[in-house]
Amino acid sequence: MTSLAEESLLLKKTVILAIFSAAAVVLGIVESLIPLGTFMVPGAKLGLANIMILTCLYFLNGKDTLMLVVLKTLLTAMILGTFSMLLFSLFGALLSFAVMYGLMKISRKRLSLIGISVAGGIAHNIGQLGAAAIVIDSLNIFYYLPVLMIAGVATGIVVGIAVRYLTNALGHMKMFAAFVPED
Amino acid sequence: MKGKMMKRGDLILIGIVLIAALAFIVPRYLNGDESEKNHIQNRVVHIEVDGKPYKTLPLTEEEQLVTINTDKGFNQIKIHDGGVQMIDADCPDKLCLGFGFVTRPGQQIVCLPHRVSVFIGVDSGEELEVDDVVG
Repeated sequence: MTSLAEESLLLKKTVILAIFSAAAVVLGIVESLIPLGTFMVPGAKLGLANIMILTCLYFLNGKDTLMLVVLKTLLTAMILGTFSMLLFSLFGALLSFAVMYGLMKISRKRLSLIGISVAGGIAHNIGQLGAAAIVIDSLNIFYYLPVLMIAGVATGIVVGIAVRYLTNALGHMKMFAAFVPED
Repeated sequence: MKGKMMKRGDLILIGIVLIAALAFIVPRYLNGDESEKNHIQNRVVHIEVDGKPYKTLPLTEEEQLVTINTDKGFNQIKIHDGGVQMIDADCPDKLCLGFGFVTRPGQQIVCLPHRVSVFIGVDSGEELEVDDVVG
């Protein structure tokens, strides 16, 4: 038997996840319209959807965030019609999630959201390159990793700052009040 | 907003990443000038599809147009002035077109949706299959 308070919490959680997924998908679409690859390095992305994932990790737990990651990746692939790329996105997204979740658990005291976002962004790139290396059966693709790492630091900092402002703003809302972690 | 924007750990993490990345990038550009003077005659362009060799062409100053047709679609590459560039493709993300003009051995152009990989290598002495039909 679940009490009324628990039920209300569960409902809030579900609504938060739904809103975050929608926002993450929209950010994913916006991002696909910005051709960063043409003047930086192919495969470099702003990682805007990561804003929602890291924010979710801040308020909710790992299981809920994993749900968000999978939902966002599937929905974005369906909407953009990049289904053949699903394997790469999923590989990157899951590795990035694993790294951010791990760092959130073990070194929250030493790293701010910016550091976690940077690590997540770089993990995303490594995951995607890893999947690509498997598919084209060549490790040459890692030639681009150093440049992607630098791009990942830049975009990770921007995403981290955005997450900081977003969590701060959402934390003042009634709906999120129960989920603000104490630290 | 409480606390500082960044913590010490963030700066250490970012520092390590940047140093590691630069450690790989800087030597490439230092060696770049040297290898630029090397003859491009022994450079080749390898084209692979699905990880299997598709075609190997000499890296030339003259223009060569190659179209790679696979069951997933087509990719068109242009070899000219000692480099190679992907100039057209019907893949969904067009990421391969963003690689630009590549000239250094080891550099690669990849079209993941089509599983096409184009990279510059050094000829190991095997016979080149020069296609007369191209161009």
